[in-house]
Amino acid sequence: MSETISPIDRERRAFLRTALAPSLLVLVIIAGLPTIYLVATSLTPFSMVRPGSATDFSEPLRNYGFLAEDGRFLNSLWVQAKLSVYGVAAQVLLGMLLALLLHTRSTFIEVTRTFFLIPMVLPPIVVAVIWKLLYTPDISPLYHVAQLFDLTLPAMTSSVDYALTAIVIADTWEWFPFTFLMVLATLQTIPDEYSEAAVMDGAGRVQVFFHITLPFILPILIVSGLFRLIDSIKAFPLIFLLTQGGPGTVTEVTNFYAYILAFNNGEIGYSSAITVILVAIIITISWAATRAGTNRGGAT
Amino acid sequence: MNRNATLGRKIAVAVVLLIVLLPFLWLLQMSFRPNESIMAFPPQLLFSPTVEHYAALWDDAFRSSFVNSLLSASISTLLALTFGIPAAYSLSLWRGRRKHALGFWILVTRMAPPIAFTIPYFLVYRNLGLLDTVTGLVIIYTTFNLPLVIWMMQPFFEAVPGSLEEAALMDGARPARVFAEIILPMVVPGIAATAILCFLYAWNDFFFALILTRSDARTAPVAVVNFMNYEGWEWGKIAAGGSLVMAPVLVFSLAVRKYLVSGLTAGAVKG
Repeated sequence: MSETISPIDRERRAFLRTALAPSLLVLVIIAGLPTIYLVATSLTPFSMVRPGSATDFSEPLRNYGFLAEDGRFLNSLWVQAKLSVYGVAAQVLLGMLLALLLHTRSTFIEVTRTFFLIPMVLPPIVVAVIWKLLYTPDISPLYHVAQLFDLTLPAMTSSVDYALTAIVIADTWEWFPFTFLMVLATLQTIPDEYSEAAVMDGAGRVQVFFHITLPFILPILIVSGLFRLIDSIKAFPLIFLLTQGGPGTVTEVTNFYAYILAFNNGEIGYSSAITVILVAIIITISWAATRAGTNRGGAT
Repeated sequence: MNRNATLGRKIAVAVVLLIVLLPFLWLLQMSFRPNESIMAFPPQLLFSPTVEHYAALWDDAFRSSFVNSLLSASISTLLALTFGIPAAYSLSLWRGRRKHALGFWILVTRMAPPIAFTIPYFLVYRNLGLLDTVTGLVIIYTTFNLPLVIWMMQPFFEAVPGSLEEAALMDGARPARVFAEIILPMVVPGIAATAILCFLYAWNDFFFALILTRSDARTAPVAVVNFMNYEGWEWGKIAAGGSLVMAPVLVFSLAVRKYLVSGLTAGAVKG
């Protein structure tokens, strides 16, 4: 800090503070306070059917103690892990393959790029409606086609074995364009000389991919995977519309369990505790994602 | 890659594109199918298109839910822009370690699962009488749109040459006037892109509207789902409603294609 600040600078700084302050104030009120309220509620046994329970802080960590013994909660974490791992892996892989296929010079292919983004930009609830149409045997073209070939498809969304797969397929369809877009942007920054030199030295396509392309796009695969991971924890419309967490609790992810607890059973306190855990997980992954994002040259 | 695309590759791309878009096209064609044809067995490939489902929606409560969606999304966008643009300008000139920490918390606000805000908002709205109101939706949509504006607008301000501003300040112009008359006009494209993304995020919301509205302020996405709950499923209406909800999204998002990635990752990665 210099000792002498010119009047112009002082006025400018005052203006910059005035420009920033209202937003920070609004964020504290609409995001900060509710978060504190959520944490406070998670320390109470608040239930809609027990008046007065909202301010009972006599045993603040009770809800968190329940978590370790709640089989349904532990199951929901496991379901979430499966959904996230399979979904994110499929999205990263398909997105990458499509990006490799479309990374070429052609006006026709450049035009198609935009259309590949459609699943990702559709409102999530419309994506859920689309897959509801495809998974409902009475009207689904998939089931009609299978019938033509004398095949009997299982009713995906009500089957214990296939319900989670059905969600993963729909989620992958919705989000592979995201990894595709990120990988394609990175592919376009790889200097041609590298692969040209390798080809001169007699490298085949597969070798060029594993020794030049893959190391180049690996960071973006990780970053886009992390972002998809964060988002997959919020998965709601697909599960709400296709399976309602069922059959049983086969597709009940933690987010959905918290929703059922709070808004079907009225167990606000316990649901808040689960939500606090979810937010903690998301903060951890976001932190990793920003680190990975900033460590890449050029990003952020 | 310098090679031009081979014909084989073009055909492969076209086939993959068709497969990817089939589910989407299926919804679209269904919205024009007469009811008899939807349930017909064996299924009919050809049918005479009808707009009866769209007409039915127009006479339905769906029309007011469409208006609710429009209102809540546009008002929250305006609000987020009003507060967020000056803040983004201020942050773009700010150097320091705390900026990184602030950026991280803004990112978290965007990444938090909707239920984290829904529980406290539901409890507070019950007492304030804001349940089932457009105002209630506008406020909660601002929780994700304001951080988006602050984060997305910064690079646009950073791209404005600092010398312009300095020269004007030296000539004795007030900082507020320099901002309003010199800086703002230069970032209009950025404002447009940001506004569209804000609108889309609010428009696409399902969870908040599901919990915080009942009938008066019900938004279009929730209304579409409600066609599934009463007296048999009206597939034609569901398809037409879904198509109406996605129409503005398709038009706008393709217009801001360039910024989709920075919007989705809250600026942590540039696309």
